[in-house]
Amino acid sequence: MSQAPVPAAPPAPERPLPTPTRDSQPFWDGMREGRFLLQHCSSCGKVRHYPRPVCSHCFSMESEFKEAPLGGSLHAWTACHHPFNFFFKASTPYIVALVDMDAGVRVNAQLHGVPESALKIGLRVKLGFEPVNKEVTLPVFVAE
Amino acid sequence: MVHPLRDKAAVSGIGETAYTRGTSKSGLALQLEASLRALDDAGIDPRDVDGVIPYFPGGAIAEDFIANLGLKDLTLSAFIPMGGATCVAGIQMAAMAVTTGVCKHVLISVGRTGYSGQRVSTRLQQFPVFAQAAEFEAPIGMFAPAQLYAQGARRHMELYGTTARQMAEVAVVTRQHAILNGNVVMNKPLTVEDHHASRMIADPFRLFDCSLESDGGAAVVISATERAKDLKKPLVTIAGTAEGHPDSPASIAQRPDLLEFGLVKSAPRAFAMAGVGPKDIDVAEIYDCFTFTVIRQLEILGFCKTGEGGPFVMDGRIALGGELPINTHGGLLSQGHVVGLNHVIELTRQLRREAGKAQVKDAELGLVTGYGDMGDGSIAILRRAA
Repeated sequence: MSQAPVPAAPPAPERPLPTPTRDSQPFWDGMREGRFLLQHCSSCGKVRHYPRPVCSHCFSMESEFKEAPLGGSLHAWTACHHPFNFFFKASTPYIVALVDMDAGVRVNAQLHGVPESALKIGLRVKLGFEPVNKEVTLPVFVAE
Repeated sequence: MVHPLRDKAAVSGIGETAYTRGTSKSGLALQLEASLRALDDAGIDPRDVDGVIPYFPGGAIAEDFIANLGLKDLTLSAFIPMGGATCVAGIQMAAMAVTTGVCKHVLISVGRTGYSGQRVSTRLQQFPVFAQAAEFEAPIGMFAPAQLYAQGARRHMELYGTTARQMAEVAVVTRQHAILNGNVVMNKPLTVEDHHASRMIADPFRLFDCSLESDGGAAVVISATERAKDLKKPLVTIAGTAEGHPDSPASIAQRPDLLEFGLVKSAPRAFAMAGVGPKDIDVAEIYDCFTFTVIRQLEILGFCKTGEGGPFVMDGRIALGGELPINTHGGLLSQGHVVGLNHVIELTRQLRREAGKAQVKDAELGLVTGYGDMGDGSIAILRRAA
């Protein structure tokens, strides 16, 4: 009996990457430069995230991106064990932390270097920058 | 003033396919099979259906119903893109359509090959509301509802002391009810130990905190009460119904309070429309994509206070024979996942007194919720009017 052909190795899974919109492009440009830029209303000054065309506070469509502080406090978290996308299989379990940034918005990002047992609401963390390719840098949290 | 929709529309027909893991049928075929059963149950000629609200995205459009069922004059074709809140929100739309005379009979249908076809992580990305999560959360490893909703569950545990034991209770009781039904995917007993030993998916959700990926179809027919009262089954009217959308609807992360779902807005509207309160409810079918989601909705609905949902589900309170029996068919956790249309079907059966071994004695008034699309919340309060 002849040996069954060895199936070709499946292509390595790729990380899902953001597709910036016209509204969010400045945020991702900032991340690539290692700067945490947030959208502020040019009229009333209110900060908003994720980026979008209209200030829901005063309805102005004018806005500007300004560099924001990197600190924040833990609001909630989950430790992801099941990789719903195979790219993440090798890194499970990983912690995704939802953080109340001192800048007044929330950011969701993986938390590195802090054990799950140490997590509690209010834990201070700091946003860092993790380049994944030439165009894209993702936020990551580390202990403050 | 009595709300103009109160009791003016009725659930006139219900139908479902077998709930399975594995099918050779398409999502469209499953919807048509369930629809024909629902129309037969109502005693309505399929050609007389003039409104169709198929689940989106779900493999069927209203035009498919014209082609397959020979609808003579379709006057309403609509999608309601609200994820798990879609089917019950469809009741509100259908009730408006039949009460105003736009339609005579509206079909709400779901057909899903959630096991043999597309699985959850693929499906979610077809939702329009997922665009923000795809841009900001998928790249960091947050894709699936289990992950997106887990942070809220964890926060509830930290703030109020809600426990894995309490979440397990929802899974265990739901399984007990499923075993009584017969048409279910999960028909073996589940213990608290089984729950605690199941693998972690996204903390705090273990496998048995999560609803099923399954195949099946379901359909209901909504008709004006004036027409439905002459049909062959006991009359079940829509006493109150509403949909609600949370603030920051497309991003849970940016929501001022992670635990404020659309149901916070819709539940008071539905109770007011029906002229009843939580204490009047005999049986409740609560959208159970996750065990925790049931606990939090019971709080929002006013069956207990915020933070007390965990203790509330213990000690047999939500089991048949308890103070508030819930998910008497086995829900999405154990019967099958047809986006909660099976909850509407079960509530109708309860109020017709056709629920067999799971019958809640003398059920007169019941409630069904839908929850999904990052937190939209729909609700219908149904009344036995026979």
